[in-house]
Amino acid sequence: MVLIGESIHIISRRVSEAVRDRNASVIQELAKAQAEAGADYIDLNLGPAKKDPVGMTEWLVNVVQEVTNLPLSIDTLNPIAMEAGLRLCKKRPLLNSASGRTDSKAEMLPLAKKYNCDVVISVLTDKGCPPDVDSRTESIMETVAYANELGIPNEDIWVDPIILPVSADQKQVREALEFIKILPDLLPGVKSTVGLSNVSNGTPEELRGILNRTYMVMLGRYGLYSAIADTLDHELVKLNRGELPHIVDLIYKAMDSEPIDMSSLSKQEQDYVKTTRVLMGETLYSHAWLEA
Amino acid sequence: MEYKAPVESYSGRVVEVVIGRGEKALKIGGENVLPFHFFEGAIANPPRLALEVLDSVPVGWSQWEVNPYKDVVSEPVQWANRALELGADLVCLRLVGTDPTGQNVPGDKAAELVKSVASAIRSPLIVYGSGDEVKDVEVLTKVAEVCAGEALLLGPVVKENYEPISKAALDYGHCIIAQSPLDINLEKELNVKLLKSFPRERIVIDPLSSALGYGMEYSFTIMERTKHIGIMFGDSTMQMPIIADLSSECAKTKQAKESEKQGLLWELVTAISLLLAGANIVVLRLPQSLKILREVLEGKL
Repeated sequence: MVLIGESIHIISRRVSEAVRDRNASVIQELAKAQAEAGADYIDLNLGPAKKDPVGMTEWLVNVVQEVTNLPLSIDTLNPIAMEAGLRLCKKRPLLNSASGRTDSKAEMLPLAKKYNCDVVISVLTDKGCPPDVDSRTESIMETVAYANELGIPNEDIWVDPIILPVSADQKQVREALEFIKILPDLLPGVKSTVGLSNVSNGTPEELRGILNRTYMVMLGRYGLYSAIADTLDHELVKLNRGELPHIVDLIYKAMDSEPIDMSSLSKQEQDYVKTTRVLMGETLYSHAWLEA
Repeated sequence: MEYKAPVESYSGRVVEVVIGRGEKALKIGGENVLPFHFFEGAIANPPRLALEVLDSVPVGWSQWEVNPYKDVVSEPVQWANRALELGADLVCLRLVGTDPTGQNVPGDKAAELVKSVASAIRSPLIVYGSGDEVKDVEVLTKVAEVCAGEALLLGPVVKENYEPISKAALDYGHCIIAQSPLDINLEKELNVKLLKSFPRERIVIDPLSSALGYGMEYSFTIMERTKHIGIMFGDSTMQMPIIADLSSECAKTKQAKESEKQGLLWELVTAISLLLAGANIVVLRLPQSLKILREVLEGKL
């Protein structure tokens, strides 16, 4: 799975202060650390970039490209900032993201064509996030058809099913998984991506990793092409490289509701089984899901 | 061929909790079917109806709420016995006087009162502290100690204070009410934490009860899901009986304050709804709504 490092994110206080003070070293350290950890892309989350979108984006893209040759994912809903970023990218960038929203179709999708880049298209519409597989399907078919008409081929499109936190709406976790499963039949040739860490938003910080890692393996089983993820999570990168095959096997078994003798497992293995069952919606989520 | 309606059977069963000792003992829960699904199996114990009694003279009650008790409102023991004469299965004693923002009655004094009520009545006793999570520790642990062996149902036990209160309840042989703020995930979290040191057979869940028109549907859906998860999906951490403590919530609505008839309707409709959602105990204020509810439960209405 292609990993897009999420750590340069404007919501992080360290990052937002570094951007405000134009402190290049903080940003460059984060970019280097993610590249060394195994990221394939570096995501630059600019947020709404209301103040000086062009100056801010150009600075950020330049300082990151000084220290890494990895391609960038320009992550903003602001089309002016987006264009400023795409224009400067040395490697073919990822436009992150467009959606089925009216403003996005009008302002974002044409940029993907203009700069001939890959583009994330999420299932969001003017009405928000579609609640189930069928409505996600309806939304994405419509938006991708629109993108095709603009001249963007399926091969350049990375579909995002929108991941919601398991602590907020457990059912949605399963819906997004099912959607990824059927996506290749719906739209042959498209790629896919998710904002992986969103699944653990709202969960106590020290417990987030295992939710992210388990869900990555589950989505990967159904062909997820890439994830915007915490590449500084060493175990996540190892799992993605296939270095922990027994954990992957266990997660698959739990997904298939195969009987598992918990007493024969280590604590780490038990935790992965419990987490899979929560993400599959088989057991009710609580912050204490690993303790039950 | 004769038509036979399909009958579901479920993997889970609600835990049977016994409160009170000896002749007073009262069983709560125990069913392995969804609420009122008589056609699918036996409902081990009917829902239990409690009337509330305060530890001090009520403040802000309408005259018609006070009337059935007007000669005993300053005597909790007599008030509790009156509630039983009026048809309650059990009494819910509220220690509102211990509230640190009010009279701030100390724990040992409150415990003495609880003991005098518990030993004077023929039913088991539910005891609710003021809901102040700090003061309740002092009050409820003292109540647990002084009333050792009475098998009271003590609450509310919340995320912030479950450790000391559940320990006291465990040591002195009481049951507890695990209360969470209208959130099924937090409800489960508290149960999971309690179950590490406290027996399932002594826990009753209080997911908080809101009144009709004031968020009752949230309480309804959480109680309903708790039953689904416990009975249909067999999640053992969600199989404890549920208490719907709704009397004060209904009484403080604008509608209940306007007239006796509306007050009665509000409590009654809220109670029937939450019973349908799966409540195993309801706490009421009005003897008249208890009477009607009883007739409903016995199939007379």
